Amino acid sequence: MKKSSFRASLWAAALAVMLLVSACSNNTASSSAQENSPAKASEAPAESAQPKVTLSFLHWRGEDTESFNGIIKKFQEENPNITVEMQTLPSDQYQASALAKISDGSTGDLFASFPGAQFEAVANAGLYTDLSGEPFLANYSEALIQAGVKESKQLAVPYQLVYNDPIYNVKIFEQLGLQPPSDWEGFLALCAKLKEKGLIPIAFAGADIGPGQFMNTMVMNNLPSDDAFTKVEAGEDKLTNAWWVKTLSQIKELNDKGYFQPNALGTKDAAAGALFIQEKAAILASGSYQLAQNKAQNPDLTQKLLAPITVPADQAKYEGIHTSTFLLGVNSKSKHPEEAKKFLEFLSRADIAGQYANETGQNVTVKDVEYNTTELKAVSEWGDKKTLFQPRFTIKNSENQKAVTNSIQAVLGGSSPEDAAKEAQAIVDQQLSK
Amino acid sequence: MRNRKLLWIFVLPGLLLYGVVFVYPTVLGLVYSFTDWDGFSASFKLTGWKNYHSILESIVFRKAFWNNVKFMAAVVAAQSVISLVLALLLVKNRKTYVFLRALFFFPAILSSVSVGLIWSFVYDPAIGLLSTLFQTLGRPELALNWIGDKKIAIYSIAAVQVWAHAGQMMIVFIAGLQSIPSELHEAAVIDGGSRWRVFRKITWPLLAPSATIVLAYTTIQSFKAFDLIFTMTDGGPNFSTEIMTTYIYHLAFSSYAFGEASAGSSLFLVLLSVLTFLQFKALRAGRISY
Repeated sequence: MKKSSFRASLWAAALAVMLLVSACSNNTASSSAQENSPAKASEAPAESAQPKVTLSFLHWRGEDTESFNGIIKKFQEENPNITVEMQTLPSDQYQASALAKISDGSTGDLFASFPGAQFEAVANAGLYTDLSGEPFLANYSEALIQAGVKESKQLAVPYQLVYNDPIYNVKIFEQLGLQPPSDWEGFLALCAKLKEKGLIPIAFAGADIGPGQFMNTMVMNNLPSDDAFTKVEAGEDKLTNAWWVKTLSQIKELNDKGYFQPNALGTKDAAAGALFIQEKAAILASGSYQLAQNKAQNPDLTQKLLAPITVPADQAKYEGIHTSTFLLGVNSKSKHPEEAKKFLEFLSRADIAGQYANETGQNVTVKDVEYNTTELKAVSEWGDKKTLFQPRFTIKNSENQKAVTNSIQAVLGGSSPEDAAKEAQAIVDQQLSK
Repeated sequence: MRNRKLLWIFVLPGLLLYGVVFVYPTVLGLVYSFTDWDGFSASFKLTGWKNYHSILESIVFRKAFWNNVKFMAAVVAAQSVISLVLALLLVKNRKTYVFLRALFFFPAILSSVSVGLIWSFVYDPAIGLLSTLFQTLGRPELALNWIGDKKIAIYSIAAVQVWAHAGQMMIVFIAGLQSIPSELHEAAVIDGGSRWRVFRKITWPLLAPSATIVLAYTTIQSFKAFDLIFTMTDGGPNFSTEIMTTYIYHLAFSSYAFGEASAGSSLFLVLLSVLTFLQFKALRAGRISY
């Protein structure tokens, strides 16, 4: 190849690439202009006088996809100019990549987030549209949507209501003449009775979700306060103080007395659930979110919730734990914030929230919802009880959160409660010094 | 001159790809390691060496580093020996050997996430295969808390890593064994050399290049491990299986401390580069010709 012909070929190739790129960008530009331009919309037929909008709805609950498909279909029938494209990512992946996706506004006009560390991070990045004053907020129980409030602004709406209290097998309790106890001595006696009958008193998923779930009910009356861990994170209280050491001691006591299944620290969520579903364990240390799944696998199960009361009955302030999660927020970078709010408003209707709840087996924070399964009804009874917002989610820094849950694993692994608390506090101190 | 241009035309796509997928993110990561970026905000502040100080002083990072060393040592030792033994047993080219080789190689084609999930169930003390097996055999004391006991959890995962990759390394050793001229062995046998002596004096020295490849690969792979630990224990119980990659992951995607995670990644890159350099030096030293 001659020098000149080589140069000519290079120029030709470059020109071809430029043409290709410009053709693509023209296409993109024109299609997005068509989507958004009111001028184009006015030329459209009368029934679609409003511009067509495609909303992106991003969340992690793959198990809810079918229910959401039906809800989205209904929404689109009422709002023919809006199309909702749903994207679900597994929760680990959601932690890792969802935030990057929503940060430029191209994805997740309406998106879900976890309470605690993730909510804080998204709020600090300014990615939530302020929903304060939106009329649809009146559809929710105000107390249950506080997890989406920051600096007096309602930035996101927690949609699901979970009670993070252990689940118990009602039939086993009835057969043995047992009642949910009202104090610590009663709880120990209950576990002793279950063990005596050859049952595992508490199935505990120590390898993954167990510590993070069980710590909540265990600590709620040892330090009956909604800002216990907030104070720890602010350096105003310490995990080495009596309330947390006592909590660890009580968890250790349950383990040492054999009230958890053997080697509980090696058991994962699915295996602990299996012990309960197969009725080998009488109590499952998780939360109401597992009721529907348990029932699906063993339709003969009758389940209710109970919280261990770690103090004498007259000193108990709280009866259980609640969490409102699956926080729905409108992306502040969205090109279609009004349409995203419209979809959120639709989800906030009692009939739609009811459809979601009954189809997915999850309770919701929306008021006046009619539940039609035994489990959902049993859980909704907890609405009248005195419950505390899940303490673990009040820990905003995930390293501190891990330090706290790991101190539970440490005592189950043989450390003394004092040493485990000291080790966890050292990590918190390190975070404080940053 | 023309050849040079042609050379560039062929090399350029590769270079561009390498630049985009490796150099650019590495440089960007290095830049972010000096910031307080949370991973998705539009703005961030420069923080100097603060992230590096935090990482190096972190109790969890130090634990993670030592766990990495323990994991690597266990995997390298076990995998090298097991893969060598398998190769020596299966080097003969009979049909059964070919089938057995394929069988041992099989775990290498599974995704490490699937392997992690499968073994989580195998190790489960309540419903797991190992526990049930030992109970059935009347030896419940052997049904250990494989991934729940902080003293053995890291080694239990190392065993899975060995299970998953020993077959792969066996193939490298088999290739090395097959490249040794059979005359050398035959001559040694005729001279009256015992099996062990023949292995020690002939096979092993000539297998050194394959051994160094296996050692280099295994060391680097085990140091970079992530998937198995993430799926099996996520660093628990009580940080006993937390390694540097899981620690960095948690910093970035649970704590949203992307700047600090980038500092951790940069330190990790330096450590890995040193390790790779040493391995390659050893690899060069191990070259033997005959």
